[in-house]
Amino acid sequence: MAELVRRQDMPPPGGYKPVNYKRIPARTFFNGWTMIGGYLAMTTVAASLYYLTCKKIHHDEIENRSAMFAIKPLLLAERDREYLKQLGRNREEERTLMANVEGWKVGTWYGEPIYKLNTDDELVEPRIQDYYVHAKRREMARRMNLEKMS
Amino acid sequence: MGITDETYLPSEEELTVTEVNVSGPVLKAAAHHLGNACLNENNEFMLCRHELGDPRKCLKEGKAVTNCALNFFRQVKNNCATEFTQYVNCIDRSSSDQSFLPCRKTQGVFDKCMFDKLNMCRPAFDQYARVQVHHTDRPRPPVEGPAVYPDAAPYLPEGVDKPPAKYGARFHWIW
Repeated sequence: MAELVRRQDMPPPGGYKPVNYKRIPARTFFNGWTMIGGYLAMTTVAASLYYLTCKKIHHDEIENRSAMFAIKPLLLAERDREYLKQLGRNREEERTLMANVEGWKVGTWYGEPIYKLNTDDELVEPRIQDYYVHAKRREMARRMNLEKMS
Repeated sequence: MGITDETYLPSEEELTVTEVNVSGPVLKAAAHHLGNACLNENNEFMLCRHELGDPRKCLKEGKAVTNCALNFFRQVKNNCATEFTQYVNCIDRSSSDQSFLPCRKTQGVFDKCMFDKLNMCRPAFDQYARVQVHHTDRPRPPVEGPAVYPDAAPYLPEGVDKPPAKYGARFHWIW
């Protein structure tokens, strides 16, 4: 066992290299002032584009609104005629439906009107449930956007 | 319910006229020219409808509106059918909300035809979004003034001295 030589780990000849602790910053393309200036320039360009788009959209909205106002009388006139026709049909439907009921008066609850001070000259428009009372419930639900409601 | 036998409703014959049987994009495409061609009728009808608030009392004006629109569409059909159909197609298919923006070229063609053959100009883009001034012969309906109650308590006469309250305020947390 005498020829066994024990060798200890030692530093390499000339010693260890110095520890690399020097900071290596990333390469800088712009300094601070350039970045602030670039930010301002980009913001200016973007804001002006935004302004132009806003103007265009507002113009389009106004044009659409103007077109709708122009055809509103036509649609309203047609709607009024159809509405009055439907009111008449509803009245006749109620008359045939309640024909066998003793003492029933059309448009009233056994002769008692909805509004006592209302003159006949004034048209009291029925609420939508009354307007659709002789139709299927689905039709009313469609009109009132309640179709998806269970 | 609510419409009694005494309520006046016009008969079917009174309410039946030839309606303008066209679809939405057609109306949208023709809107500006239509508004210009039927300006007087439209304003008269809308004023009547707003003042009286009763669909039965503005039937005559409404029929005039529909008649004028019918005549307008007949004129367009007789003179500028191709250009108008092209424009309507563009309005219908270029966007989901029938916008005017993508259809300026076809609009220009249509406007040129309308100006050449019918001498109708496209009004300003916001013409009908402005306030409309309309002169009419229809008398103004009576305006209901503020309510007057004969048994209302009279005001204190002038020059009456108003001494401070003898026992302070009613509400102690307000001062």
